Amino acid sequence: MACVLSGALRLWDVAGTVEHDDEQPGGFVLAVRGTEMRIVARAPHGWLIVRGGETFGVHAGLPGLLRQLREELAPHAKVGRLIIGAQSLL
Amino acid sequence: MTALPVSVITGFLGSGKTTLLSRLLRDPAFERTAVIINEFGAVGLDHLLVESSDEQILTLEGGCVCCTVRGDLVRTAGDLLARRASGSIPPFERIVIETTGLADPAPIVHALMTDRDIADALRLESVIATVDAVTGAGTLDAHPESVKQAALADRIIITKTDLADPAANGLAERLQALNPAAPKLTAVHGAVDATRLFQGAYDPARYNPALYESPAHRHCGINTFCLRRERPLHAATLSLFLQVAAEHCGAKLLRLKGLVDVVESPGRPAVIHGVQHVFHPPAWLDAWPDEERSTRIVVISQGLDAQWLQDLLEVLDDEVKACSIS
Repeated sequence: MACVLSGALRLWDVAGTVEHDDEQPGGFVLAVRGTEMRIVARAPHGWLIVRGGETFGVHAGLPGLLRQLREELAPHAKVGRLIIGAQSLL
Repeated sequence: MTALPVSVITGFLGSGKTTLLSRLLRDPAFERTAVIINEFGAVGLDHLLVESSDEQILTLEGGCVCCTVRGDLVRTAGDLLARRASGSIPPFERIVIETTGLADPAPIVHALMTDRDIADALRLESVIATVDAVTGAGTLDAHPESVKQAALADRIIITKTDLADPAANGLAERLQALNPAAPKLTAVHGAVDATRLFQGAYDPARYNPALYESPAHRHCGINTFCLRRERPLHAATLSLFLQVAAEHCGAKLLRLKGLVDVVESPGRPAVIHGVQHVFHPPAWLDAWPDEERSTRIVVISQGLDAQWLQDLLEVLDDEVKACSIS
C-alpha cells in the first residue's frame, strides 16, 4: 500500500513522502509541501483521510482514496476516464 | 449483422503507406476493400496514387484525421456502410484507413471503437505502422509522432529494405525495444505478405512474458513491460484496476493488452485490450491458448512505473477479497 501511495505521488508529479504511521496500525503518513495527512485503515475495510485531527475523507477502497488525494494534492493533474467501447474484440 | 473489419495504416511522412496500400489493393484477396485516405493539405494527392476503383476510395482533406477531421472520419465510414447496404457500391468486405504521416493513431482507434453510429458495424482489426528502413531511425529520434505510431501498432512494416538493412543500422533493434510483441515484416515497393497484415488484434503469441523480460525495453520515453500474477484475480479487481489505471495514468497508458485468469471464470481467461483509456469489452476464451495458466498484462506506456501498476493490482485484489469476506 505504501508503494502504491508513493508511486501515485510520483505519477502526479508531487514531491512528498509516505511512511508507515507508528500511531495507527495499518496506517500511513503522507508529508507533502510541509503538510501531513494520515491515511487510516477503517474497519472492516476502507480508508479515512485525516488532516490536523479532522477527518475529511472516508473511502470504501483504494480507488476513491486515490481520487481524493489527487484532487487535494495535484488538482491540475490530467484525469482520464475509462471508456468501454461497443466493439467485440474477438 | 457481422461487423466489418477495419484496419488503420499509419506511419511517418514518406514511410511508404500509400505504396503499401496501392500494392495491397492489387492483391486479388483484397480487391473487396474500401479505402479512406486522409490527406493533410487543401488538395489531396495520395488518392491519385492508389490504384483501385474510385468509388471505393474516399478522401478526407484539409486536416489530420486524428484531430480536425475525426468527425469526418466517422461520417465517411458511416456513409460507406450506408452505400454498401443500399447496393450503390460493390459489397466490400474490409475498410482500410490510411492516416496522414503526422497522425496520432490513438484518437482514430478511439473513434472507431466508441462512436455509436459505427462501432457496432465495424471491428477494429489491426493497426499497421510503416517505418522507413533508410530514415526511420532518425525519424524516431526527431518526431515523437513516429514513436507513438510504432508503439501502438499491431504490426510494423519496415519499408525500403532494398535500400538499407534495418538490422545493420540499428532500426530493427530499436523497433523491437519499442514494441516487442508486434510482428516486424519487411516490404520492398509495398510488397508484403498481405495475409500476415490482417490477422486481427488478438494474437496469443503476444502475451509471451519472455518478450518483455529484457531491461532494455525503454525507448524515447516509451517503456513496455508485462505484469504477471500466478493467482487468479477477482472480476471486480480487474474492473477497478482498469478504472484506476485509466483515471490516473491517462495518456501515459498507450496500450494495454492482457490475458487474465479470473476467479469467477476458471479455465476461461478474459482477454482485455485497450488504447489509452478506451477498451474493448472483455472477451472470454473457451480455454487458455498456451501452456501457461496465469495472468499476463502487457503495457506500452510513456514512462509508467511497472512496479506501481503491479502493486496496484495486488492491493486492489486484497481489498476486493476483504470486501467479499466481510
